[in-house]
Amino acid sequence: MDPTIKDFESATAELDTIVRKLEEGDLPLEQSMVLYERGLQLSRFCHAKIEEAERRIELLNERGELRTAPAVLGLGGGDEEGAKPR
Amino acid sequence: MSDLFSQPFEEEPPDESAAVLKPAARRRILTVSQITAAIRSAIESQFCDVWIEGEISNCRVWHTGHIYFTLKDEAAQIRAVMFRAASHYLRFKPEDGLHVIARGRLGVYDAKGEYQIVCEHLEPKGVGALQLAFEQIKKKLKAEGLFEQARKRELPALPRKIGIVTSLDGAALRDIIQVLRRRHPNLHLVIRPTRVQGEGAAGDIVRSLRAITKVAGVDVVIVARGGGSAEDLQPFNEEVLARAIVASPKPVISAVGHEVDFTIADFVADVRAPTPSAAAEIVVAAKDEFCRRIDALKMRLDAAVRAQVQRRRHRLHVLSSHRGLAGWRATVATSGRHLSDLTHRLRTAATVQIARKQQRYRTLRLALESRDVRRRLAAIRGRVGAADNRLRSAALRHRDRADARFRVLAGRLETLSPLAVLARGYAVCWNADRTAAIRRASAVGRGDMVRVTLHEGELECEVRKAE
Repeated sequence: MDPTIKDFESATAELDTIVRKLEEGDLPLEQSMVLYERGLQLSRFCHAKIEEAERRIELLNERGELRTAPAVLGLGGGDEEGAKPR
Repeated sequence: MSDLFSQPFEEEPPDESAAVLKPAARRRILTVSQITAAIRSAIESQFCDVWIEGEISNCRVWHTGHIYFTLKDEAAQIRAVMFRAASHYLRFKPEDGLHVIARGRLGVYDAKGEYQIVCEHLEPKGVGALQLAFEQIKKKLKAEGLFEQARKRELPALPRKIGIVTSLDGAALRDIIQVLRRRHPNLHLVIRPTRVQGEGAAGDIVRSLRAITKVAGVDVVIVARGGGSAEDLQPFNEEVLARAIVASPKPVISAVGHEVDFTIADFVADVRAPTPSAAAEIVVAAKDEFCRRIDALKMRLDAAVRAQVQRRRHRLHVLSSHRGLAGWRATVATSGRHLSDLTHRLRTAATVQIARKQQRYRTLRLALESRDVRRRLAAIRGRVGAADNRLRSAALRHRDRADARFRVLAGRLETLSPLAVLARGYAVCWNADRTAAIRRASAVGRGDMVRVTLHEGELECEVRKAE
């Protein structure tokens, strides 16, 4: 991802600041556009973060090892994909 | 007290009791140890299993696990001890002022000449032991500030992995997975299968909690079980689990499926969910909230920029409709048309002239060639050549002039500014609704309204006469 964005917390904070700045107002057009571009970049980053987590279920055993959970766990009732044998 | 002592001694062998009770007859002297041993054997055989009700005082818990206290009522007291092997099974903590029923045997401590009850079992009178234990732990942890909301941590907006500590075969796990899957399919769950009821379950849960918070990326942990009786929920009321939850490096959600009753774990957890499903909802609610926040920010970002562009456009509009500037576009358009007309005419004229001269030259040459006058040929050739040259240079001069004029006009157009023109005293006369400039007097009639744009300001005029 963008190296200028640390994490989603700082991204949201920065986005918030940018929006405030733009809302307050009378910035030169040039600067507004730079801020807007940055704002878009940050919002894209946050959206990407939201979708980032993997769809996965793991079991942590007594030895501290992670194992993929048996498909039946992913079932949870209405989840068909988890039930399919692989 | 007196008949308490008289009882066992009645059953003692007659010779010994005689020695103690009737010293006058035969002087039999006992050592302290002997008498103590006699007392002990009397007491211990008689009171090997008694129930005593009383109030605890002077209670001290030794680091070894033994508990020493005194049981008393209004008139008497008896020393008591509960050794570690027995106190280990205590559900509550004996403390001063507590009204209890103790069961045990009486013993004599030779070295101090004291007797005491060695408790095997202790239960609070009135309330159940579990209830009492609950109240005690609750009071203690509360006093330590562990229930304070200020101490509790925020749940992460976007947990990378969600840790779940619960039993694999319980309904709790199924409920949690179902909710999470429905709300956000892209979630990474790490489950630590754990026994959540029965003897030693609290310790298991503690170990699981420690293990799962060590897994990289686990940002929040749900500790769950699906309801049950008070006895089943006992592990969640144990102090050791409460302490582990407090010490957890990651926020913990307690989800002991029991809508009404709170467990100790509920009080110390960063968030208490009434049911496992609710815990799952709470975890994703934070994520939803984050999504909403980002969306709102994005909308505000767009709106702010749109508003700015709008403001600028408006300002531009105000400027352009301001005073003399209004006619600017029209003027430029007019000048442009004039200029291009002129250019076209110039070019055409030049081309036509050149063509005409070329035609004359050709005609002349034909005429010359048709006359076979070789003698005058050289002279004529010379004249033709000269004419030719003059013709060429004339044509070229003509073109150069035309081009030069074009360039001058173009240059003037570039420097042409309606304001500059107006500043020199020119004015633009418009029709009444200012849609067209008036170029001919015949375009208006007497009584028509016209507008006249000056360098500064504008006039609205009525035509009195059109000539």
